[in-house]
Amino acid sequence: MLVMSALVFVGVYAIGNPIDVLIGPDVSQDIRLETIARYGLDQPLWRQYFTFLGRILHGDFGRSFVFGMPVLDLILSRLPATLELTLAAVFGAALIGIPAGIYAGYRPDSFVAKAIMTISILGFSVPTFWIGLVLILTFAVELQWLPAGGRGATIAIFGVEWSFLTANGLSHLLLPAANLAFFKLALMTRLARAGTREAMLSDTVKFARAAGLSEWTVLRRHVLRLIAIPLVTVFGLEFASTLAFAVVTETIFSWPGIGKLIIDSITSLDRPVMVAYLMLVSFVFIMINFLVDLAYVGLDPRLRRAGSR
Amino acid sequence: MSQISSAKPAPATPASTRQVSPAARFWAEFRESKVAVAALAVVVLMLGVAIFAPLVAPQNPYDLANLVLTDARRPPGYVGSGGYTHILGTDAQGRDLFSAILYGLRISLQMGLIAGSLAFVVGATLGVGAAYIGGRWEAFIMRVIDLQLAFPAILLALVLSALLGQGKAQLIAALAAAQYAYFARTAHGAASAERGKDYVEAVLSTPLPAWRVVLKHIFPNCLPPLIVVATVQVANAIALEATLSFLGVGLPVTEPSLGMLISNGFQYMLSGRYWISIYPGIALIMLIVAINLVGDRIRDQVNPRLKR
Amino acid sequence: MSGAPLLEVIDLATHFHARAGVVKAVDGVSFSLARGEVMGLVGESGSGKSITGFSIIGLIDPPGRVEHGSIKLEGRELVGLPPAELRAIRGKSISMVFQDPMMTLNPMLTIGAQIGLALEAHETVSAAERRSRAIAALAQVRIPEPETKVDFYPHQFSGGMRQRVAIAIALLHRPKLIICDEPTTALDVSIQAEILAEMKELVAELGTALIWISHDLATVASIADHVCVMRYGKIVEAGPVLDVLTRPQHPYTQGLLDALPSRAKPGALLARGAGTDAAPPPRAAREEEARKSAAGVPYVVVDAVGKRFQRKSGVLRLLGQRLGIARPLPVVQAVDAVSLSLSRGEALGLVGESGSGKSTLGRMVAGIYAPDSGHVLLDGERVMSEGERAHKITTRIQTIFQDPFASLNPRMRIGDSIAEGPLAHDLVSRAEAGPYVAQWLAAVGLDPAFAGRYPHQFSGGQRQRVAIARALAMQPDVVVCDEPVASLDVSIQAQIINLLIRLRQELGLTLLFISHDLSVVRHLCDRVAIMHRGKIVESGPAGEVYENPRDAYTKRLLAAVPVLPVASP
Repeated sequence: MLVMSALVFVGVYAIGNPIDVLIGPDVSQDIRLETIARYGLDQPLWRQYFTFLGRILHGDFGRSFVFGMPVLDLILSRLPATLELTLAAVFGAALIGIPAGIYAGYRPDSFVAKAIMTISILGFSVPTFWIGLVLILTFAVELQWLPAGGRGATIAIFGVEWSFLTANGLSHLLLPAANLAFFKLALMTRLARAGTREAMLSDTVKFARAAGLSEWTVLRRHVLRLIAIPLVTVFGLEFASTLAFAVVTETIFSWPGIGKLIIDSITSLDRPVMVAYLMLVSFVFIMINFLVDLAYVGLDPRLRRAGSR
Repeated sequence: MSQISSAKPAPATPASTRQVSPAARFWAEFRESKVAVAALAVVVLMLGVAIFAPLVAPQNPYDLANLVLTDARRPPGYVGSGGYTHILGTDAQGRDLFSAILYGLRISLQMGLIAGSLAFVVGATLGVGAAYIGGRWEAFIMRVIDLQLAFPAILLALVLSALLGQGKAQLIAALAAAQYAYFARTAHGAASAERGKDYVEAVLSTPLPAWRVVLKHIFPNCLPPLIVVATVQVANAIALEATLSFLGVGLPVTEPSLGMLISNGFQYMLSGRYWISIYPGIALIMLIVAINLVGDRIRDQVNPRLKR
Repeated sequence: MSGAPLLEVIDLATHFHARAGVVKAVDGVSFSLARGEVMGLVGESGSGKSITGFSIIGLIDPPGRVEHGSIKLEGRELVGLPPAELRAIRGKSISMVFQDPMMTLNPMLTIGAQIGLALEAHETVSAAERRSRAIAALAQVRIPEPETKVDFYPHQFSGGMRQRVAIAIALLHRPKLIICDEPTTALDVSIQAEILAEMKELVAELGTALIWISHDLATVASIADHVCVMRYGKIVEAGPVLDVLTRPQHPYTQGLLDALPSRAKPGALLARGAGTDAAPPPRAAREEEARKSAAGVPYVVVDAVGKRFQRKSGVLRLLGQRLGIARPLPVVQAVDAVSLSLSRGEALGLVGESGSGKSTLGRMVAGIYAPDSGHVLLDGERVMSEGERAHKITTRIQTIFQDPFASLNPRMRIGDSIAEGPLAHDLVSRAEAGPYVAQWLAAVGLDPAFAGRYPHQFSGGQRQRVAIARALAMQPDVVVCDEPVASLDVSIQAQIINLLIRLRQELGLTLLFISHDLSVVRHLCDRVAIMHRGKIVESGPAGEVYENPRDAYTKRLLAAVPVLPVASP
């Protein structure tokens, strides 16, 4: 985590001068220097870094150059929207993708399986932003079924706004979530299919069949357990990468989440926001990796025993 | 090619007199999937069209002398002031969209191939090197790569290209930096597996110099999985470049790739002028789908666990 | 009992429709089996013996299918039965045990859960009953402490234990017939002996008929009443075990028996492998001083050599493995300060079961692994350099590996594989390389025109010949053979053994021959060393150790080897 913070910090700060973006070239030298000093940009890099580290420990990520408000507040105010979108996308993808993949792996030569695989290749190949465009064009512009952007009505629970609880919010959520889920769906399907195909050819399945188990039992009790580990891994990793892909979807659908925030801060070189965002994402990754490892120990008996020692 | 298909090998008689190299065998097996062959044909066709874009395109879309503002945003089939039909319509500047797509394809492919090759070379060297050297260096290199792999490529490319600024070279660097880790991981996995195999131990026991073992024995046998990654990553690089250009942090306006064409047309989409965005998108998707189909076939072929 | 046979197979044909044509894996097989009878089904790889077993239990996957013929169980036709009815028979009336116990059990489920699933396939049982039945099933196959073991996962069992669990599952519903497909091939000799004895008792106790499929005549002889010998999808000979093995009628059966080293005089050429091979090319002129040591004086010295593989674990390693980056942890398999010596021209057999450390020791002698302690000397010179990154410095020791499919670079023409080493070490000039390779190919009994081919164009036996040519083309004085015949069929094995005997004589080679197969070692070696858990427990002249073993482990090992009945003269 510390390594990550240093890498992120130096990486972001090494290049580009935000002052040129913040203030026009025509302002006086005094104002310029004053601005630099206010943001601590006159200090050497390593001092900036330590000041930054010290502040982080107090939960202070600095102030946004552009918005002029504490970065942490800024990000936290946008986080629920992104989280909601991401969760909807990942769970949607898993719920449809895994059964479809298992079926395609179980009957690889059937027509349905081939159709599933063709669609998954499309989902795998077509860039997210383009699907977003097509979704808007079809459902918002042509059919006018669903809104093209924005978040819609929200309901606050424990002070956090959620949109999936209202019909209007749900209708706003549907298109961006579908957009974001498309790629993940393809990935989950392919993974489940590959795992199932290998499992079906394994001696374990042959032996279970030889013992007279029904096909349904073989799939549900044996195959599902055998392919669970790679699926959980990818589920975890993909949750994290979905958070990143939300950048694209949020831009297209004007979804007010952190993805849109980061794009805006990148174009305006708003360093504190970028650093805080990257730190947050790294933190989320590390947490997810940790959770996946825990899930692993729960799933794989070979690790469970080694872990208890 | 034809000689392979005409001679059906009899089962269980390996000692036929033909000298079938592994590459020829691979191709013979590849040809069994009609979809994959068709996809390969599409890839080759698009590559050819992209290379010869100046000869194929009806108009040079970047020759300002050709641009007539009254021709802008015309639907497909519109006969422009230049006297010829814009079969896919024109874009916001009055450029022939078909020509713009061909030129855009050229730039997209160029970016994808250069970034992919760069990532391949760097990644494969690191991965194979780490697997062969072993010990602390292996642990260190692979730890860095693991760390990076936990980070989504799109975010890395996004931040890097934002930091490096706009430009072809910068974007290629950002794409390669975001992708080399996939090659490194695959190369390392394959090389570690090959390293433990008997034939490598056999040449180690000959003994042969280390560079020779790596270059002539380990590396060639790591190629199949690397080729799979390469196809996927070239497709990814193209998609990534398009995404970045769409988000406005990719190529400069003077180098309009397919992604930028789509991005340019986005604002006109809601007003019903769909073709400016949709047709470049279809070209992009055809390319990526075709590359992925080829990659998919190769993946199935090199997966030993699916061989019966 | 009733006169009708339990199982009647008539003119069974199972074909595989591959793209290269139809493979007639089973091509007109007929036999019948009485209740409680034990039948052995013997054949080399590709003879169709396993496919016959899978056909009976109705588990032939596409592109294979039962083409014609009939399989009757107690008079009921099984061929063409709908899947649901076949499923009702599988596990209930007919069950099956597979070769590799490491692969058959689901690693993610407890033993009890897996037995439970098999129980519920044909009965409805309560949870408590499921558990007690599972415990009883484990107890039946002699698994100690079944009450605790029932909650274990497969990885907590050894190979032999896992195979017992598989047998317990197969016996669960007291089937009328069990088909065992090479059930002891993946196990060590001593475990094999235990399973054989237990299986024999169990089927007698339960009155179950048994089809024992194996490539090994000796194991079949020790369990079966009747035997069928299969070749190319057909049964070439069938009859009571004693008759077939002592008075074989078919030349193929006779050939199989002749190919067994245990039936031949040690050191003699085996009948099956007789062939006329060309002489190897002359050695390159090297200083003769290098080979001056006299016979009888220690020539290869292995001095207190040790090796330990450490388990690297940790969170990151775990993560790495999960992502498919890191390779699986190596088994801790140590060689513990072993000392050995070979005199010039001698053949030493190194015998041990899996995990005994024999292969690791062999790789250290061959200069592939650097020992952690001790050193290996050839003619007083070190085999490997000293220091942090030790590497091999001599070319006078070469190696032949077990698996001929893995020991040749699949992307290199075999001629290049053979010539590579000699070229790199200036044993031959680039201009002479072609004829040199041709001479070696002829010397190992291959057509010199094969030099331009790739490994996948050869059969297993041919590849092993190529591997031998590659090792010998380096003109070594010592050859380490690591199970060179273990993955070959009996008749091919005989050919390779003959080749080794002949080349050893012609070239005056010193051999370190590593094997788990006591009969092969007996046949080829002058002296043997028995290895167990990283140590050498006994060594001496082959005849002496085999006749009068002193060490308890050696005694057990020798007693476990199944013996063929010998024809009375």
